[in-house]
Amino acid sequence: MDHVIVDVQDLVKRYGAITAVDHVSFQVNRGEIFGILGPNGAGKTTTLEMVEGLRVPDEGTAVVDGIDVRRDPRGVRSLIGVQLQEAGFFDRLTVEETLQLFGSFQRKMLPPADVIDRMQLQDKRRAWVMNLSGGQRQRLSIAVALINDPRIIFLDEPTTGLDPQARRNLWDVIERFREEGRTVVLTTHYMEEAQRLCDRVAIMDHGRMVALNTPRALIRTHAPSTTVALTVLDGDLVYASLPGVRHAEVSNGEVVLATSDPMQTVQALMESSRAGQIGFHQLRVEEATLEDVFLQLTGRRLRE
Amino acid sequence: MRAFFMTINMGFRHYFRDRSTVFWGIAFPLILMGLIGLAFGRSDSLTFSLGFVDRGGGPLAEGLRRGLNEVPVFRLMEETDEPMALEALRKGRRTLVVVVPANAGEPVRVYFDQARLQDSRTALVILERFIAEANLRLSGAPEVVRIQARGLQGQRQLRFFDFLLPGILAMTVMQTGLMGVTWVVAEYRQRLILKRILATPIHPFVFLGGLVGRYTVTNFVQMAIIVAVAIFAFNATIVGNPATVIGLLMFGTLVFVGIGFAISTVSKTPESANLLGSAIHFPMMFLSGTLWPREFMPDFMQPVIGLLPLTPLVDAMRAVAARGDALGPYLGGLGYLGAWGVVAFALAAWRFRWE
Repeated sequence: MDHVIVDVQDLVKRYGAITAVDHVSFQVNRGEIFGILGPNGAGKTTTLEMVEGLRVPDEGTAVVDGIDVRRDPRGVRSLIGVQLQEAGFFDRLTVEETLQLFGSFQRKMLPPADVIDRMQLQDKRRAWVMNLSGGQRQRLSIAVALINDPRIIFLDEPTTGLDPQARRNLWDVIERFREEGRTVVLTTHYMEEAQRLCDRVAIMDHGRMVALNTPRALIRTHAPSTTVALTVLDGDLVYASLPGVRHAEVSNGEVVLATSDPMQTVQALMESSRAGQIGFHQLRVEEATLEDVFLQLTGRRLRE
Repeated sequence: MRAFFMTINMGFRHYFRDRSTVFWGIAFPLILMGLIGLAFGRSDSLTFSLGFVDRGGGPLAEGLRRGLNEVPVFRLMEETDEPMALEALRKGRRTLVVVVPANAGEPVRVYFDQARLQDSRTALVILERFIAEANLRLSGAPEVVRIQARGLQGQRQLRFFDFLLPGILAMTVMQTGLMGVTWVVAEYRQRLILKRILATPIHPFVFLGGLVGRYTVTNFVQMAIIVAVAIFAFNATIVGNPATVIGLLMFGTLVFVGIGFAISTVSKTPESANLLGSAIHFPMMFLSGTLWPREFMPDFMQPVIGLLPLTPLVDAMRAVAARGDALGPYLGGLGYLGAWGVVAFALAAWRFRWE
């Protein structure tokens, strides 16, 4: 069995003068959680919808489990589960009826009761969709994506708008998909989500893919510095010449150091303190995140 | 096929759970029918107009004339010509016609319309009581004046509700298309429900066909309830062939669902679709003869009224349902309506957008 399950080559989508997706290529491996991270408007959704066969690319190809999306979009859709960002359902159907209806649109269908159990919607089985909370609605949306027992699940910003508790619940659900051997492709603009969930992350900005790797490797490559921060009470040092420090910022007694060797830097600070050169408190060491990677790659923050 | 029937099934449930659509689809037409019936439809009046033909001019006629004028529920209309009086009876303008003979020995003839037994019988009973009393007063013995009742085969009296019901049904058919379909399809599009369905392997036409099916089914349930209430509560009758009536309604439903689809494709939001639908719906509702005869409208508007797609449906429905006419003379108009349907579906297919 081929280990590449989604193969995207040079996808381009233009809307008038704007190139929404600009020569994007990537491969998704069978059984992984693949994340597309980027700010709003980066082209994540457009990319996903071209792979799902909902939009026709201007250039490039997308092959899903051996099927070319442009040649057989409905063939692809029968293999995949799709959760669309903000897609609505019928207000006055119950959760169970919604699953029966969407199941009837599929070539293969899991028992709705099983899917309801898995998405923890048992209490809401007979509730109308219009009476569901945001988190419940999102779980229904994923339940609909699951009803045809797909090998690949596409989730477009699955946790946007959810409270932290609901978000964590959903992360557990998505990790279960991976344990069951399904492949998950998701988009997000939450770097914690990408970092916590994804085996590999593609970073998109302005329609381009600017990096693709495991979260750890991305940080190692693009944001190798660790931040050491401290509040200085008295004394002074030439912080920039401490071991490992690449960059130092001092303002009002707040010192922020970017270091490639946090152990050495902290040790030097402790020694200076013991020697009476400086007095400080609140020493904090912060690992770099994908946020820093994004900042490094684009010069902007993810959420502005 | 499973997807098609499931779409109808779930759409049907969705429809009946929405009180506002049930109100507009069922309660509103009934209320309208009741109100219009109250305003215009008092056909079962409590005064009976009697045509009075005096052929002898004798004292008997004079006595009867004076006596009948004193009966409060009778309105005496003096007639000179017997055939004209009978014609008025046939057309429903008289309840009874009383003919006083030239020879005193002949019985007084009373004509009534067999098609209006209820009114006729009541009037006859009152008349007979009156005659009996008159006889007693005249001589103390019965049978000085004899009356002879004769039934006439008049034109069937078109009762107001018989007239109104086909119009109301045609209006319901139009309303489903122009108010229901427009709103629902535009809303499904705006809320990305259509896109969500496109993200499944189903062929889009199966779902759209299911929507058409759903509107046909809900329409017929709606109309069955309206017809039942009209018959049992308002005493309306459908004279014509029920199969033809159902066929007409089915045809009308398809055409107006098509027009609804077309409107929804040229509108950006559900609100604008609804507005456009209403803008077409209301003029037709008042002009096309749904609620009152379209001849009530001024002459200069008649050509415009003739072009409205609802007009041929109302005409054909009324002819078949209320008068029991054959469909033949109305086929041209129905062809015109069908052309609207074809154009509407073509426009919808061409302009249809999923999101």
